[in-house]
Amino acid sequence: MANPLRLYLACIKNTLEAAMCLQNFPCQEVERHNKPEVELKTSPELLLNPVLICRNEAEKCLIESSINSLRISLKVKQADELENILTKKFLRFLSMRAEAFQVLRRKPVQGYDISFLITNYHCEEMQKQKLIDFIIQFMEDIEKEISELKISVNTRGRLVATEFLKQFM
Amino acid sequence: MMLQSHSRFLLQTLLTRAQNLDKAVELDYQWIEFDDVRYHVQVTMKNPQILLLSVSLPNPPPEAMSFDGLPLGAIEAIKTAYGTGFQILDPPRDGFSLTLKLNFSKLRPDEAYRNSLLTKLASIREVVMGAPLKIILRHLASRTVAPELDKLVAIMHRPNETFFLVPQADKVTVAFPMRFKDSVDTILATSFLKQFVEARRAAALSSAPSCTWSPTAPQELEGAPKETLSANAGFVTFVIMPRHVDGEKLDRTVWNLSTFHAYVSYHVKCSEGFMHTRMRRRVESMIQALDQAKPLEKTRSMNNKSFKRLGLNDVNSK
Repeated sequence: MANPLRLYLACIKNTLEAAMCLQNFPCQEVERHNKPEVELKTSPELLLNPVLICRNEAEKCLIESSINSLRISLKVKQADELENILTKKFLRFLSMRAEAFQVLRRKPVQGYDISFLITNYHCEEMQKQKLIDFIIQFMEDIEKEISELKISVNTRGRLVATEFLKQFM
Repeated sequence: MMLQSHSRFLLQTLLTRAQNLDKAVELDYQWIEFDDVRYHVQVTMKNPQILLLSVSLPNPPPEAMSFDGLPLGAIEAIKTAYGTGFQILDPPRDGFSLTLKLNFSKLRPDEAYRNSLLTKLASIREVVMGAPLKIILRHLASRTVAPELDKLVAIMHRPNETFFLVPQADKVTVAFPMRFKDSVDTILATSFLKQFVEARRAAALSSAPSCTWSPTAPQELEGAPKETLSANAGFVTFVIMPRHVDGEKLDRTVWNLSTFHAYVSYHVKCSEGFMHTRMRRRVESMIQALDQAKPLEKTRSMNNKSFKRLGLNDVNSK
């Protein structure tokens, strides 16, 4: 099902290109503090409308933007029990290493599986196009990894079963 | 891939001892294997020819076939398997269910014979735990009538857990309620067990025992007490025919059925370990991809070599 995936990713890419115009903005409430406004949501004039892109009922992507930060939340498809635990394990594994990823959020937003938080500092350090490419690549990688893990579990199960039954022959 | 019937550590200890009989050493090893089976080996300086081997099995639950803390028929099985070179100590050592006394000086010096006997001794777990199962399957192999014909028999394979047999005249149906503590283990095991049914359908395995999986207790287990029938990963049923227990195959079948649950859970754990390795590799590649997003000046500065490293070729070419 490459085509719907391509369209979904292209749509997300265009939205991100439009939304990722971040500039430094010191906090209005507290002196000398600089906080990502999208996390606090204290001043409505600093926030943009959140955009929700749905691929189907199971997969969606929420993009919330503000003046100095951008939050992207993803919900990944989980067809059966096995995919469910594989996804949970893998995404928790990633979230625990959020420090290494810099743009990853340690806890996903309520109702989603994984979240990114991009601030103006990240945009200053990294090229915007490459950052967007990374996020898209990340989404493709997750899908590929989950399906590969599922296949490896099934293959191993088949091997285990065959070896066991061969012992009786 | 299969679990071996002899305990490798025990075998190594016995072989080392047999090869160094002239040296008097003091040995006192205690160790524990999967599913709560404990071993104890002791050699004293006073009698270096004598080796004491003790085995302890977990307490059998009330429905399992057992006698005096050991599976039914275990003592006879030991006597049959190991012949006269061994003495069974009664009572066994403190805290253990069975103690054997082996006198190395009484063994034949023939090395091949000695090695095969010690390997059989290291498989003591297979002999002791598989004794009741072996009795039933031997009846099947010889097509004689077992005393428990058409009745439900329970045999312990894990602490406080049993699996069930229904012996009939021409086949034995074996049913395992599969229980796992961890929810991830349960889901992985369920998909593994479903593969057993799929694999059996392959043409090459048509003479293997027929195998079914069901999420609820099959009708053969209708008489069993309720607590023994809770199984979060479903029930696996095998139908064993006489051709599976002919001659040499009897011992192997007994071992494979006795350790079925251990085998599945071992491979589930291996799968989880493999998934972890894969995830780590994937994370590393993703971080590398992210590094490429950084502007080139920042990452290049560390890789820039402003001088050429001299290699051996350059030195020799001068």
